[in-house]
Amino acid sequence: MQANVKVVGDTKKSFLTGNEAVTWAALAAGAEMMFGYPITPQNEVMHYWTRLAPKYGRGFLQTEDEISAGFTVCGAVQAGTKAFTATAGPGNVLMQEPFGMAEAMRLPLFAVIQQRGGPSSGTVIYSQQEVALTTYGGNGEGHRIVYSTATHQEIYDYTIKGFNTAWKYRFPTFLLGDGYQAKMREPLEMYDPEERGIEIVPTYPLLGLEGHIGENREPQHLCNIYSLEEELYDVVLRFAEEYEKISPELIEYKENQCDDADIIILSHGVVSRAADDAVKALRAQGIKAGSFRPITLRPFPQAQLREAIAKSGAKKMLIAESAYGQLDRLTKQEIYGETIKIENLFKPGVGIIDYDIINKIKSML
Amino acid sequence: MFIYTDNERVVEAYVGEYASGKSEMAINRALELSSQGRRVTLVDLDTVEPFYTLRPLKEFLEGLGLNLISFSTEDAFGLGETGAMLNPRARWALYNEGDIILDIGYGVYGAQALNLVEGASESKELQILAVINSTRPMTNSQERIAEYLQELGHVDAIIANTHLGDETTLEIIMEGNEEIIAVAKRLNIPVAFIAAEEKFAAQLIELNTDIPVKFIKRYMPAAMW
Amino acid sequence: MITPAVPKSWYLPSKPHKFCPGCGHGIVLKALGETIDELEIQDKTIFGCDIGCSLLSWDFFACDSTQTHHGRTTPVMVGIKRARPELITIGYMGDGGGYSIGSQHLLNAAVRNENVTLILVNNTNYGMTGGQMAPTTLPGQKTETTPYGRDPELTGYPTRGPEFLTELTPEGAYIARATVSKYKQLRRFLRNALRNQMEGNGFSFVEVLSTCPTNWRTNAQQTWRFLEDEMEPYFPVGELKSPFGKGGDK
Repeated sequence: MQANVKVVGDTKKSFLTGNEAVTWAALAAGAEMMFGYPITPQNEVMHYWTRLAPKYGRGFLQTEDEISAGFTVCGAVQAGTKAFTATAGPGNVLMQEPFGMAEAMRLPLFAVIQQRGGPSSGTVIYSQQEVALTTYGGNGEGHRIVYSTATHQEIYDYTIKGFNTAWKYRFPTFLLGDGYQAKMREPLEMYDPEERGIEIVPTYPLLGLEGHIGENREPQHLCNIYSLEEELYDVVLRFAEEYEKISPELIEYKENQCDDADIIILSHGVVSRAADDAVKALRAQGIKAGSFRPITLRPFPQAQLREAIAKSGAKKMLIAESAYGQLDRLTKQEIYGETIKIENLFKPGVGIIDYDIINKIKSML
Repeated sequence: MFIYTDNERVVEAYVGEYASGKSEMAINRALELSSQGRRVTLVDLDTVEPFYTLRPLKEFLEGLGLNLISFSTEDAFGLGETGAMLNPRARWALYNEGDIILDIGYGVYGAQALNLVEGASESKELQILAVINSTRPMTNSQERIAEYLQELGHVDAIIANTHLGDETTLEIIMEGNEEIIAVAKRLNIPVAFIAAEEKFAAQLIELNTDIPVKFIKRYMPAAMW
Repeated sequence: MITPAVPKSWYLPSKPHKFCPGCGHGIVLKALGETIDELEIQDKTIFGCDIGCSLLSWDFFACDSTQTHHGRTTPVMVGIKRARPELITIGYMGDGGGYSIGSQHLLNAAVRNENVTLILVNNTNYGMTGGQMAPTTLPGQKTETTPYGRDPELTGYPTRGPEFLTELTPEGAYIARATVSKYKQLRRFLRNALRNQMEGNGFSFVEVLSTCPTNWRTNAQQTWRFLEDEMEPYFPVGELKSPFGKGGDK
């Protein structure tokens, strides 16, 4: 089954929570199976999926834990089925094992992460503390694609895009949201992808192929473990090369009034909304601020950020995040060598509003 | 729709989908009654997200003279996990004096959440109001609204509350509510009123529908969701 | 030179196989290969193997095969079967993968009566990692992590998997314990376990008592003696639950 079934019908604006937006977008993208385990704040993805899935002939399994949810997705996508999962916090920790397998076997796995507070069980509410885990978690090299959304419209758009990216490039793909985005209500435009000319990337099986073994096809033997260093080395280098090759096509970012900025605010996800509001307010007060937001945290728009720094001649940058330096570290490793002075606004597990950023910027001048 | 005498108390439960506007309706109703000098208790019966809904507004609403049964930020501090749970005071809400406004959270059990409230099933005072927003995907066509109402269980009346948050327009209100009213007619459920943000007052009054229009203030944006 | 008959479903480029001399895996996999041939399911079989010695079978069959993680073969097979019910999924694992690190998956797949066939090879130790104690190590048995013999006071008694799975599964499930010392019976149990999945009755599980001379440090005679005289009395062989009736055969 593919996305030929119209899920949405006439495009119109709807009023939704972020979790519901994930479900509707997954349906519209032709997702066939969800495997999940309850954890706040992603529960309503499952709630709405289980309400809607039978109406559209889609499947669901509530597994015994997140490890199993991740591995059942790995199995289902190997069988050629568009499957996904959603999780948060400690569930994201447990899923690093199957996510690693998806990296190693190049499985088109798509997962939605609604960040909650950490470390440990933390809070069920909100944070941006799963950046390191989602981009570079697991015992691998972070060959993953991570979209950090800021609005419900983006949750909808990037859920559809996320499935496509996963199936086109076969690197595990993530939509990184957070508890605020999960629970907030906001209008957005739902649509069937075909209506927008978005082509749904077809799925295909890696196992259970057509034909007769020994007559017209060979058996498939899929690997993730190798006997010798050299075997693994070749595999990882090949993945790295492919990842770097496709990165320019994947990188997405938003730049706001950086051309003449004296100071650049760098943030991602829902915090970037506060950053944009802050830029507006600061500009009104004669302070030349601009903002830069990576939409893909992996691959990171490093060349584009360097360019924004260069063309603006900005001397200072503020990195604001609801974590204690995860975006900060990611950014610094990506723009190594830049001499722009970086200051921070770290509020781990707590929301950041425009007022917080404005005050911080003023203290930096 | 509902007219109460002074010695009769108002007991109303607001049920609806996520983002239908049930909390907003409940708050507006509670403040309306309280402004008439009545004693009003507003009860947060959202068992799914008791720490998300009315909590951030608790102090503000208490400042306006309401008696609030909901978790406060202080209650939540040190509680450990803040997940689905029922505030024990909510169970006995009907035993409070004066008017009672219940804000019922979403869930597959719909209005059955009222089973959690002591005395609700025997109450002759209790009116159940279904808040419907036809920009919600699960209630965005006549067919879906009817299906939803049937799943909800018994309701005394419907509030037509079509809106799109900040992006609401007069057109959205009118078109969406028409669908709701049509279904209500078909299912023989009265429409208590059409709700609309007060900024639409001038435009809506001219429309002169046979269903009353009630103008509301939006408080929930301050609660973040 | 006489060439022994090999099952059609074996993948010849991977032969001779990679298991140690005297290892029971070869016998189990031969029986499985013959069963796949007999049931004519080679083209639609998905063979999934766990980490540990069972992983050495990853390219054993000319069937679509996939490697998983230690203990995670069960959920991968469940995912495949849920996605494509027409496929025949066979999960192949050791006692550590099934009864220890993957026990929550095994238990819950059984409770849900997942329509997959799982084969668990019990050789009373972790072979690939160098002979540590497994959930199935016998009382008093020496391993690299029980150098003075397994003390049930400290580490409990050996896990009897088919027994607990029998309790957990509804009617329709097939649960058996076989041994590499009784080849015909092993073949019959594997056939029943696969037929059960093909008929859509539900969860099918066969534990196979097997040998590990490398880690047991036994010669041929001692190996066989340990299997028949030590293991089989502790782990009774037979069908514990079968939709085909007691001793039934399909």
